[in-house]
Amino acid sequence: MTDVCPAYAPFFGFAGVASSMIFSTVGAALGTSKAGIGIAGLGTFKPELIMKSLIPVVMSGIIAVYGLVVSVLIAGGLDPSKDYPLFAGFIHLGAGLACGFTGLAAGYAIGYVGDSCVRAYIYESRVFVSMVLILIFAEVLGLYGLIVALIMNTKATEARCP
Amino acid sequence: MSEQAKAANITEQAAKGGVLLKLIIFSLSLGIVPISSYFLSEKYVWNGNSNYAAITAVFAANIVLVTYIILSILEDRPPAPAASTDPKKNE
Repeated sequence: MTDVCPAYAPFFGFAGVASSMIFSTVGAALGTSKAGIGIAGLGTFKPELIMKSLIPVVMSGIIAVYGLVVSVLIAGGLDPSKDYPLFAGFIHLGAGLACGFTGLAAGYAIGYVGDSCVRAYIYESRVFVSMVLILIFAEVLGLYGLIVALIMNTKATEARCP
Repeated sequence: MSEQAKAANITEQAAKGGVLLKLIIFSLSLGIVPISSYFLSEKYVWNGNSNYAAITAVFAANIVLVTYIILSILEDRPPAPAASTDPKKNE
């Protein structure tokens, strides 16, 4: 093993895979649980609005899907039979962290927005459109992290072992 | 107060069977559609380019989300007749 392709380089690659899934799932769990509190409050008054009020929960699930896609993407680039430079290891770690922490932020925002807007939807039905708009803005935070992870991942195949 | 509870029960039971099935279908599709579109598009559409496959998977997940939002908006129309019977019951 050389300095450019050390034996511990896959540690960073797999840390990227794990962190992408872990942190985006934490964000999705925060979003689902916080929005679920509001939905439980709405369900006691107006059970016919439950399909609409579950939109924050579905969006939190999409955040977890973003983390899953990045994990699968990074894991697909890891192969024990090929050379793995430390450069690629750091790239994969950065990509996983970028997607994971932005997913955490997006899930947190979706949870709080979903809780408050779903409770307000009982009294004023025009809150629905603004709720969907705010949730979309919160979700594109996770999408930005995924885009950065994809851009970083395209550079991971360019380094070679000497 | 009991008439409102009865009206709420009627709408609840009318909606419950269909709603649960829809939610089960959406939960399964949100799990299955992105990953299957990633692997299938990577193999058959993009010739092994995994970045384009990831973009395809993100598109598929967002299409499921938009379908859910549209379905939940369309579901809002039918309960209007149940609301119109409430003033008659309150008299």
